[in-house]
Amino acid sequence: MYKKIIIPLILISGVYADDDRWGNRNDVAPVKNAIYIKECGSCHFAYQPGLLPQRSWTKMMGNLENHFDSDASLDDATTKYLANYLKANSAEKGIEYKRSRKILQSIRPNEVPLRITQTRYFINKHDEIPKKMIIQKEVGSLANCTACHTTANKGNYSERAIKIPNYRAWKDD
Amino acid sequence: MKKYTLAILLCGVIANAGNFSPSMQGYIAALKSEAKQADSSFVDFNAKRGEKIFTTKHIGKSGDSISCTSCHGSNLTKNGQNPTTNKIIKPLGPSVNKSRLTDIKEVQKWLRRNFKDVYNREGTALEKGDVLYYIQSK
Repeated sequence: MYKKIIIPLILISGVYADDDRWGNRNDVAPVKNAIYIKECGSCHFAYQPGLLPQRSWTKMMGNLENHFDSDASLDDATTKYLANYLKANSAEKGIEYKRSRKILQSIRPNEVPLRITQTRYFINKHDEIPKKMIIQKEVGSLANCTACHTTANKGNYSERAIKIPNYRAWKDD
Repeated sequence: MKKYTLAILLCGVIANAGNFSPSMQGYIAALKSEAKQADSSFVDFNAKRGEKIFTTKHIGKSGDSISCTSCHGSNLTKNGQNPTTNKIIKPLGPSVNKSRLTDIKEVQKWLRRNFKDVYNREGTALEKGDVLYYIQSK
């Protein structure tokens, strides 16, 4: 009697848990820290700390004067505060989140990527997108998450919520 | 007649400095004394000179020829856009964006970073004051 109910439930939950199409779970822990959003989000999307491992954030925060060809230096107190925030919320701290886990698994132990876009998981997920969709002015580059991932600021990168400007819904197949 | 002109000029100078928010007055005064120290003939900052600094292109940190307008646009009452990340930058002109030039720490942070991005060095007190007068006039 119970088996009849429980087995289908287990099956269904398995499908829900890993299926992008349902898209209602967070893929990565969302950003709630107002200082992070202000300081890092004024020039670019406030990437969730769970999108890179701790060693990447530590390396990045050690050289904000040379931050992707730009000076992003902060006063010492703010730098330290944000370095701690990133460390406490890095991918290793959120392996219950699918994207954090998969990004982490795709990086070799000796690698310290500074760009999320250069992690193997990210590349595999984006390598079929035609260049014209990326370089168009509404997007610009793959670093501009929110241009296509309409729920990126909630930590949700589900396929269902992708809308590439000027193109029909993206199907990953 | 001469006295009269001088009085008007002086009023103009005071009024200009007075446009800055109370929290910025101290910073402007500090920049003035630094500029005076560097050059004893210094009288006041100048928005016109600031505009030139703001709009002149220079090989910046990235190796590209850029100016402040590359991100902020040439109309400071309108949004700008970071050309690398596509992020919208709210207008710099205090006439349309009241939060601009009110927080000294913010102003110092962005002057330091952005002079380095465009000119590959920090600005002098004279240059920073001139640019602030220019932004304040918008």
